[in-house]
Amino acid sequence: MPVTAAADGTRRADPTGTAGCVSAGVDGAMAPYLQADELTTRLVAAALRCIARWGVAKTSLDDIAREAGVGRATVYRAVPGGKDRLLQLVLRHEIGRLYHEIDTELAAADDLADLLTRGLARALSVVDHPALGYLAQHEPELVLPHFAFHRLDRVLAATTELCRPHLARFLPDDAVAPAADWVARIVVTYAMHRSSALDPHDITSIRRLVRSYLLPALTPHPSPLPSPQEQP
Amino acid sequence: MGEVEETRRRIVAAAYACMARDGIASTTLDATAREAGVARATVYRYFPGGRDELIAAAVTDQVAAFFARLREDVGDPQDVTALLERGLVAGRRRLAEHEVLQHVLQVEADRLVPQLASVMPIVMGVLRDEIAARLVRERLRPGVAVGEAADLLARMMLSFMGTSGCWDLDDPAEVRRLVRGQLLAGVLAD
Repeated sequence: MPVTAAADGTRRADPTGTAGCVSAGVDGAMAPYLQADELTTRLVAAALRCIARWGVAKTSLDDIAREAGVGRATVYRAVPGGKDRLLQLVLRHEIGRLYHEIDTELAAADDLADLLTRGLARALSVVDHPALGYLAQHEPELVLPHFAFHRLDRVLAATTELCRPHLARFLPDDAVAPAADWVARIVVTYAMHRSSALDPHDITSIRRLVRSYLLPALTPHPSPLPSPQEQP
Repeated sequence: MGEVEETRRRIVAAAYACMARDGIASTTLDATAREAGVARATVYRYFPGGRDELIAAAVTDQVAAFFARLREDVGDPQDVTALLERGLVAGRRRLAEHEVLQHVLQVEADRLVPQLASVMPIVMGVLRDEIAARLVRERLRPGVAVGEAADLLARMMLSFMGTSGCWDLDDPAEVRRLVRGQLLAGVLAD
């Protein structure tokens, strides 16, 4: 059973190996991606290609080694926990990548509408993730339960942590969690069940949704709060 | 009810009984046939898609029954605000009280959730229509399209029924704040 180090330094059982994504904060979540060495990057990319073709159940460590163009021995040495451990690695890497991409987008936003639009668009781009797409269609039991009922809470909390510093530029403190909670729910529902009301690939439709339905609820605080540099 | 319909109903009910008692994994055509008191061949005739089709039918049946009960709880509110507030409160209560659902989510979420997900588009469509029927009677903010707004509201209702997230939806004041202050703020004119 994999363990993870919790924020207080104790070691906790962590079957999916993803608890670190939330308990260690946003930086902890991005680390597996930002700090991946060359071999890890290669193995992750190869694993994702295999999963996009055959899914998780039918992908073996040997398949991944072959796809990565590395020897089996190299892979077994690098990932001592075998296929399960490698899959955890892949998951943490991809979650880290998503965090990083969203974080980068949000940092570039000029105003609240822009921030929400960019964040939604980037998060919704998961619909084009080939491995995730394959799993959602052919092995839904691996993906969907993580977003259902109380398990969604983890996603909501992680979104809030990620968005907090960015939303804090435009919203009072007590509005941050409800706003992040809302956008996370919007991403999950429209990623899972498509609709003509919101096209994940059409930033105009996303921006319209933001302006029509989100902004009126989150403002009246239309102008950004003064940042520390602007204070006299 | 015709005999064909009655037999089908009995088989689906038997499948559900097996799922509730023994779990989805143990719910086979054989177990269902035994539970329903019919031959295996009979079950297969009604559900040529086999076990998968049978499980899907049982889940669909239960979801329909759940929302029928919910509709009774909510009544027929004239305005969309009441619909959402009552729907949210009653939906959360019904979900929490559903012993079989809560048990299966604990032990077999990976088998149940994909089934529920398959049925969700239909549920969303029904909710969307109910919401849209009331939106057309309201004064809406400029630029709000009824279909689009109803779609978003239906999805949010289901999402908040599933989990309250950062909100305390046991508190009626918070329910009002969520529905009026957030979900409908961009939809209804002041």
